[in-house]
Amino acid sequence: MRPLDENETTAVFNKLHKFVGNNLKNIVLESQAHEGPEPNPGRYCFRMQKNRVYYVSESLVKRATNVKRDKLVSLGTQIGKFTKGGKFHLTVQCLNLLAANAKHKVWLKPTSEMKFLYGKSVSKSEVGRITESIQVNDGVVVFSMSDVPLGFGDAAKSTVDCRKMDPNGIVVHRHADIGEYLRSEADL
Amino acid sequence: MGKKKQKIILPPELPPEVPDEEVEVSDEDLDFVGQHSDYANFMSRIDTPSLTKHVSRVADANEGALELLYEKKLRKKLENKETEENTLEVDPIDALPLKTADGQLYYRRVVKESKEAADDGELIKDPALVKPTKAEKRLKTKKLRKEAKKQAKEEEVQQTPQEEVLDEVKKELTAEEANEKKKYKFAELGTTLLTDPESNIRLLKEMLEISKDGDSAIVILGLKSLLAVFKDIIPGYRIRLPTEKEQEMKVSKDVKKMRFYESTLLSAYKAYVQKLVALQQQTVYQQVATRCLCTLLAAVPHFNYRESLLAAVVKDISSQDDVIRKLCCTAVKSLFTNEGKHGGEVTVEAVRRIAELVKGHNCQLHPDSLEVFLSLSFDEDLGKPERSDMDKKAKYKKFKKRKGSDESNQKPENDRKKSRKEMMSKTREEVNADYKAVSSDQDPQEQRKMQSKTLSAVFQTFFRVLKHTVQPKSEGSAHGAFGSHPLLDPCLNGIGKFAHLIDLDFMADLMQCLRKLAGNGSKSEDSSENSSCQLTVSERLRCCIVAFKVMRNNLDALNVDLQEFFIQLYNLILEYQPGRDDGDLLAEAMKIMLCDERQHDMQRAAAFIKRLSTFALSFRPAESMAALVTVKHLLQKNAKCRNLLENDAGGGSVAGAIAKFQPQVLDPNLCGALASVLWELNLLMKHYHPSVSSIAATISTMNANTNQVFRVHTSPQQAYTELLKENESFATPSAIKRTNSKRKGSDTVPAQGSDLNSPGEIDETAIRSKLSEHFSLLRDIQENERLRSEMDRTTQSLNLYETYRKQKKKRKTRSD
Repeated sequence: MRPLDENETTAVFNKLHKFVGNNLKNIVLESQAHEGPEPNPGRYCFRMQKNRVYYVSESLVKRATNVKRDKLVSLGTQIGKFTKGGKFHLTVQCLNLLAANAKHKVWLKPTSEMKFLYGKSVSKSEVGRITESIQVNDGVVVFSMSDVPLGFGDAAKSTVDCRKMDPNGIVVHRHADIGEYLRSEADL
Repeated sequence: MGKKKQKIILPPELPPEVPDEEVEVSDEDLDFVGQHSDYANFMSRIDTPSLTKHVSRVADANEGALELLYEKKLRKKLENKETEENTLEVDPIDALPLKTADGQLYYRRVVKESKEAADDGELIKDPALVKPTKAEKRLKTKKLRKEAKKQAKEEEVQQTPQEEVLDEVKKELTAEEANEKKKYKFAELGTTLLTDPESNIRLLKEMLEISKDGDSAIVILGLKSLLAVFKDIIPGYRIRLPTEKEQEMKVSKDVKKMRFYESTLLSAYKAYVQKLVALQQQTVYQQVATRCLCTLLAAVPHFNYRESLLAAVVKDISSQDDVIRKLCCTAVKSLFTNEGKHGGEVTVEAVRRIAELVKGHNCQLHPDSLEVFLSLSFDEDLGKPERSDMDKKAKYKKFKKRKGSDESNQKPENDRKKSRKEMMSKTREEVNADYKAVSSDQDPQEQRKMQSKTLSAVFQTFFRVLKHTVQPKSEGSAHGAFGSHPLLDPCLNGIGKFAHLIDLDFMADLMQCLRKLAGNGSKSEDSSENSSCQLTVSERLRCCIVAFKVMRNNLDALNVDLQEFFIQLYNLILEYQPGRDDGDLLAEAMKIMLCDERQHDMQRAAAFIKRLSTFALSFRPAESMAALVTVKHLLQKNAKCRNLLENDAGGGSVAGAIAKFQPQVLDPNLCGALASVLWELNLLMKHYHPSVSSIAATISTMNANTNQVFRVHTSPQQAYTELLKENESFATPSAIKRTNSKRKGSDTVPAQGSDLNSPGEIDETAIRSKLSEHFSLLRDIQENERLRSEMDRTTQSLNLYETYRKQKKKRKTRSD
């Protein structure tokens, strides 16, 4: 377990910024906004363990130092992992963190929730609602109509372009969805 | 018998050949007549003049003398007529007679002296009154022409000597009298022009000449009378002057005459318009000239030189002078509303000119100048009728085919029917062609082109204003006379009205602009920019509303969530001040953004519920009522938000990721309102206004678990206006009281300083005096009580003493 180095930090922050915009400071600075099991969690920070990045409170970090590095399986909330090539990927576990601070959202119609949870991307006909001012390649969090976060992905089209699109065109490219908890349980 | 008859019937004027006395009527004759009185009836019906003529001719006696006599009589009559006409002048505008239902013609007659005074005022009022319909006009002109033809020759001959005489006389007259003469002249010329414009068209030039006078009163009078004349005689079509080729061609007399008439009219009109435009610069004539221009533009927008008219009118559309601006605005509005008069071309022109004006003045104009656009109307179905026509044709073809097959079956029936059908169709075609020619209907495609041109110019203007408002101003730029963003208000209104016509390509830019504007205030606070580009709360509210309207009108297919604007509204609620800002707008924003929106984020809805109920605590009953109605709406739609009504502060799983409610956070999505409790409702139930307290009570009884079906009857807007009205009646007595106390105060405290301070001090003194009264009364009562008790005590002791003495006496007596 170690703190992130500079390159890693910029990679992580860039990725998060794509989804939450200026709310990034809520994630990094305002620890009291998130309620964990501990009474005095202290500040939250990012830690790296075996190529995976975790979002952990300071008190937990202190306690985790007692465990040997190769014996430590996980701590706090995993938010993503670095690939062998050095790229950073967000994983499903960070969904709640993103959903609470999301800037761009897409709500799915109830009939097409299932399709998304099986790993398909979101097409225009499935969109129940969409926030304005989404640009191409912005990070988008996908919700069900009853405001349950389902996953996240990349915007394939801006909101303005969406209007002119045909109903089968893809609006959001899927990155992760909560169906992964079942589908790829072993890899998570 | 024949001779006798003649003598009896002879008109008395004729010198009788035989005196009546000489004719002896015998008794027999009388008897005969008396007996056969029925037969004598014909006598009364005898046509005397023809008889006499006949008889005289037969008699062949002094024919020449008779003719002379008749001639004399006629002449006398004519003379009488002339004198009558001189004494009774017909008002130039009322020159056309009124025809009543029974066919009689009435001339409006005014005595000469009063006419001058009337002339001035009537020019403005009367046209609408007297203006006849076209059919009437035609009838009248026909009649008038007949009459005029008779007189025309005489008049033309007479006029030249008259002028000569007039000229001579003029030199002798003083200036005032000359003016009077000129006035009369205007009246005369106008009248003659109106009675028969075609033959008297040359008089126009004369009128123009006279109105070049130095005296302003005369000029004004001339302009006005010319206006009246032009308005009446300008034809319903555009005059095209003949080309040289056409002029060389030989034409009939009528055509020549017509050409002459048109060209003279046109040249005179041109001179008139030029004169008006020139006079518009001078302050003395400004109003009159503008009024004339506006009236002309509204009355004859189809005629030549409308461009110069339009240019002159649009130039003054944001004039500082209220009257002139109003005139121009109404003229342009009438252009927009009566497009049928000119076929839309002028609309395009006007809109373009206004756009240029806005550009030229850097958006510093009076709001009225853009308000004009609101009266534009765009027909969206222009393309459609054509298509339906095509459909009809296709259908008809099909129908025909079927019918044809039917006909082939019934061919031998008869040919007469067929021929009749052909006749029918032929006549129908003719009628259609005629109708088209008369109505001068435009090609719908042409019209569409025109409309799109207009629209693009309008939106260009709107966007220019928006962009101009968005960009921060340099320090040095002054706001001009109309405030910092004079055009923003009408511009937003216009965008709201025509939102459904905006091209999707512009949409992104438009929303961007609106977002910037809506967030203008808070941003400038953050970056401490100069405060000049800060918009008021009402303006920002309006931006939000317009954004929602635009979105709603354009996208039924895609449901876009306008997060940014919700954030703005969430913060604007805090900045709202009842007196300063428009409560109606706030209510409208609540209605459009919160009540009409189908779905909300749970967090956001909760945040708005919380904020609105907090807001309701601190404002007037009308606003709090609107807020509470909105809260009710939101709670009904979002069942989860009813957790707010429970008595323990939720958190953890209920509240989502955010554990504590943070009221100071700007983003409603992040404030964690679900973790709070709506304690405000409890306070609101004790509100002094009965309806507010009742609605607070109903909201607080909503249950989180049961899924009742609630029905809401009122929108926040309705609630707001209702309560506002109620409040006015509610508030008036207290206001009166306050003024009363003020008056008292000013009586008791003479020469109070500032107005702001005085009410407080007055209240203090009044309260002090009242309190002292109250307490002195209380003190008196206490004193009274004390005294009374003292008295009681003394009487008791006295009684005691007496009993003691009695007992003592008794004892004494016993002992004794």
